[in-house]
Amino acid sequence: MGITSFYFLCFFAFILILYYLIPHKLQWGLLLLCSIAYYLLSNNGMLILYPVASVSVCYAGIRLLAAVPPENAGKRRGVLLVTILANIGILVVLKYVNFGIYTIDGIARIFGSSGDLIRSVDFLVPLGVSFYTFSLLGYVIDVYYGIARPQNNYLKLMLYGMYFPVIISGPILKYREHGEQFFEPHAFDYRRVTRGLQRMAWGFFKKLVIAERLGILVDTVYGAYPDYAGTYIWVATVCYAFQLYTDFSGCMDIVLGMSESLGIILPENFRTPFFAGSIAEYWRRWHITLGVWMKEYVFYPVLRTRFFTELNRSWRDRFGKKRGKQYATFAAMFILWLTVGIWHGGDWKFVIGSGLLHWFYIVMEELLAPPCAALMEKWHVDAGGKLVGLIRIVRTFFLVCIGDLFFRSASVGDALAMLKGAVRVWNPHILWNGALLTLGLDGADMVIAAVALMLLLIVSLLERTGSVRDRVARMPLPVRWLIWYALLFAVILFGCYGPGYSAGEFIYQGF
Amino acid sequence: MGKMSREEVYEKLNEVFRDVFDDEDITVTDTTTADDIEEWDSLEHINLLAAVEQEFGMKFNMGQVVSMKNVGEMVDIIMAQI
Repeated sequence: MGITSFYFLCFFAFILILYYLIPHKLQWGLLLLCSIAYYLLSNNGMLILYPVASVSVCYAGIRLLAAVPPENAGKRRGVLLVTILANIGILVVLKYVNFGIYTIDGIARIFGSSGDLIRSVDFLVPLGVSFYTFSLLGYVIDVYYGIARPQNNYLKLMLYGMYFPVIISGPILKYREHGEQFFEPHAFDYRRVTRGLQRMAWGFFKKLVIAERLGILVDTVYGAYPDYAGTYIWVATVCYAFQLYTDFSGCMDIVLGMSESLGIILPENFRTPFFAGSIAEYWRRWHITLGVWMKEYVFYPVLRTRFFTELNRSWRDRFGKKRGKQYATFAAMFILWLTVGIWHGGDWKFVIGSGLLHWFYIVMEELLAPPCAALMEKWHVDAGGKLVGLIRIVRTFFLVCIGDLFFRSASVGDALAMLKGAVRVWNPHILWNGALLTLGLDGADMVIAAVALMLLLIVSLLERTGSVRDRVARMPLPVRWLIWYALLFAVILFGCYGPGYSAGEFIYQGF
Repeated sequence: MGKMSREEVYEKLNEVFRDVFDDEDITVTDTTTADDIEEWDSLEHINLLAAVEQEFGMKFNMGQVVSMKNVGEMVDIIMAQI
């Protein structure tokens, strides 16, 4: 049951009404029941055992930890390690065993093996495994370090791990910041409920009017890329960048809006990422909760290992204070980006497209920054000027698009072939000779997509200086209603629906 | 190391900050945060803490590394350990 499906909306409307009718002390119990029901309805029922197992392991780990006296540091560490490994173990088996097998088979083929050396295994992967595993691991580690309070109620921890809106594609939660509010009573607040619903409507607009529509064009080109070259590939890739953004951030608007109407405020995952002037900044604006998680639980711990402390010291002696420090950071960042890539899925296209390629970008940005600054000074270019800012934004977007091309391709081989095709053929005339209309979207669809993207741009520009919902809320009543009804009707009239008025799945649902 | 006063800790800490961020004009207070020092980003955070640890002969745990909100909290942790 996808959250954009008609049935799900009925399910949610029912929950929302019931949520404020029952005694507020029982609200969290209702959410837990709904989460379990959601899991059972949208999956092979047995798969619910995976998240339940993860919650149980974390719960048991924390109980054990509480029983170990603080002075027994070794044993505490042991309990932490076993809890982490058990959780990561489930994740690795489900998501990465085949990645290892494919890689070994691929290498074997290079060396002349004709068949598969090892046969891949079919696993049914439970919904949201990468998201809930990270939310739970963060909780365990924070309790270990004493910055989160342990949750001694098993069922409450289960709600934190399996809360149904978040299980689809995040955001990744931090228990120490967002955990407790799940269990607090929430009185009905008209403003909060309506604002949540407004945000949901905007999410549906992004998903159904923009993402699903652009997806048609993207699928046409990526599905038969040998037939398309040059500008076709650039157009499809730019469309994909917007599709991915509106799909994922639209999903977040729905999830965060839904939660807001239930009185639960979740962390933001996006902050107008396409306005970023550098790749480093892009990652502070795109999939923010993943970035923060990776920073706190991968990057910092790696940098603080004895190996990296020593590396830092020896490279500082060798390359000088500034350079040495920088190179050591690059080395640690390699591990970070490798992990980010692998997190997206067991496939080299993810490892490259959303991992190592971005590592390369950031390293280049750091290394090229001083010579670029020197050049600009020499040519008397105002580095803080509007034009330079715009060029930086366009450059960043272009680099992101290359990563997305890998991400969307069927394989690294396909991505490289597409890149080759994209630069080999010069055919910008397809932009105006009507050839774009053969890619699955007719003229009307193109206009709708363009207008919707325009609207997205305007809203994004406005968001930079404050909440658009606040702005609308300050308008006179008729204007306010007109805006929200127009948005609702736009979704109903211009949304791309699949069978049974349900949209396709979310892209990040697969992770 | 004998017991230092908060002022003495700050005196030493300022030197560490100036050295790490290559800026002689930095003076930190209880309320200084990463937002106040341009170079203090997530990449420099760990370098800074490593330099502080070395200077004071103490250790931050990972929880403190990610949760300390300002320099005041950093000094509290340092004072508790020296």
